[in-house]
Amino acid sequence: MSFARKLIRAEWRLFLREPLAMTFVVAFPVITVLVLGGVFDKDDPAFGGATPSDYYVAAYLGVVIAAVGLVMIPVHVATYRERGVLRRFDAAGVPRWAFPFSQFVTGLVFVLIGAAAVWVTGLVSYGVPALHDPARVLAGALSGALAFISIGVLLGVMLPNARAAQGVGMLLFFPMFLLAGGGPPPGAMSSTMADISSWLPLTHVIRAIQEPWLDLGTNTDHIAVNLAVFAVATAWWMARAGVLAAPEAAVA
Amino acid sequence: MPATNEPAVEISGLTKRYGPHVAVDGVDLTIRRGEVFGLLGANGAGKTTTVECAQGLRRPDGGAVRVLGHDPVRQRARLGSRVGSQLQHAELPDRMRVGEALRLFADGPPLDAAVEEWGLGELWGTPFGALSGGQRQRLFIGLALLNDPEVVFLDELTQGLDPVARRSVWSLIAAIRARSTTVVLVTHFADEAELLCDRLAVMRSGRIVAEGTPDELVDRHGPGISLSFTLPDPDVAGLRAVPGVEAVVVSGTRVEVHGRRSMVAPVGAHLVARSTGDRPVPDDIRVTEPTLESALIELLDCDDTPNLVPEEVPAS
Repeated sequence: MSFARKLIRAEWRLFLREPLAMTFVVAFPVITVLVLGGVFDKDDPAFGGATPSDYYVAAYLGVVIAAVGLVMIPVHVATYRERGVLRRFDAAGVPRWAFPFSQFVTGLVFVLIGAAAVWVTGLVSYGVPALHDPARVLAGALSGALAFISIGVLLGVMLPNARAAQGVGMLLFFPMFLLAGGGPPPGAMSSTMADISSWLPLTHVIRAIQEPWLDLGTNTDHIAVNLAVFAVATAWWMARAGVLAAPEAAVA
Repeated sequence: MPATNEPAVEISGLTKRYGPHVAVDGVDLTIRRGEVFGLLGANGAGKTTTVECAQGLRRPDGGAVRVLGHDPVRQRARLGSRVGSQLQHAELPDRMRVGEALRLFADGPPLDAAVEEWGLGELWGTPFGALSGGQRQRLFIGLALLNDPEVVFLDELTQGLDPVARRSVWSLIAAIRARSTTVVLVTHFADEAELLCDRLAVMRSGRIVAEGTPDELVDRHGPGISLSFTLPDPDVAGLRAVPGVEAVVVSGTRVEVHGRRSMVAPVGAHLVARSTGDRPVPDDIRVTEPTLESALIELLDCDDTPNLVPEEVPAS
């Protein structure tokens, strides 16, 4: 078995034992979608024509993606750098692409798990809306997941240690989650907050999933934004790949 | 397997800088196949940087490094599992279990031999975070030797371990000696180097300041040997004339003779020659031999700060 395959298996087991990851990727979206799905009136116009529960079930797939990219992966990558695990990989002659590749694979698997948890929660509580355009929903989710996993690797590479990664990750996650669609609906926001929301990467992830799912629009710009974020973040951490692979700047 | 003259690691003119600080300054080393080679020196002497360059973990600023005939940076794929490493600052995830770490780093089966040889079977399901310092080092040695490498680098293997754990790790190194593996051991413990290494290089301020077997280093750089015994009528002049004797100190009937190792037999002969029936050979002769640690103190105990500080460039 190649090292990359063995590493993916090992990473998968480690993430399953990681309470922070499981809490934010699975428990947090499930509990929050249950609460928010029942807070608003069914006919509330702030949701742009969708019912609140449909809006939140679709939106929380994006929240799962944000949790993977901003909470789970940065702490993991920074911990590996801080503790010299990447130096150990390097000394063992492990190909330098293997670790980031494993983060993308395990990140996508955890997005699937979190999404399944939200889906099942919706199914047994408020119901799950039919997918209006499944292919575009899939493209939106996949492009968003790639963008946020890449942001997660970038944060893990740039931040000095695991505590910093956790702090910065949380600091990015909560405001983004609240403003991008996981909190109040767009119609309930002030124009300033709505403007800020439109600039957030998570807004594009959530809209890239919500709009084709709930038939709220045919805009494909969101997918393009996701792919652009993915490209920029990936280019950035690859430019600093020496930090990922070689020890020279990895641990002071 | 005894050491051969075939080189396993060749380092010539190695230089490595961190900003203005010269960490390694023109190091030349040849480590032969099958030997346990120690790199000894105080903290910050450049030992770890030297072996990290040899492992391909750092790119040298100057000089050449060949490991098993290959450049460890440019030809790392060719070296692969032929080189094993135990790094000074490299851990594993706390939640990773011993068995998972072994499976991850193993090139393929069989794992059983390594698990049995390093006593890791009992720790198979234990998370890394729950291992003691000695158990962690045992795991790291197991990982370094897992794929039966031809060269293994062990960096500060026993740092932070209690004396019992240190001895346990030493016995593991002694077991490696029996294999064909070339061992490069980085340490700042003289007792460890003296016990385990066939040859040593001592580093100070990024340079090799001495190289040889432990006995050669002690002979060359140690403070000398001393003999002490009781003589009712010390013959100071006669003792001083013995070849190899450097000093004779008399305190009442107690005599201390200091000198090179080569003086032991002539001093003994002198005492026998001057003995008579009522003046027997002393029966309380004590020999105090110099250790590698005392030789190391001689080698390292000098102020070399100017070597580390870049020269100031006067304003023009």
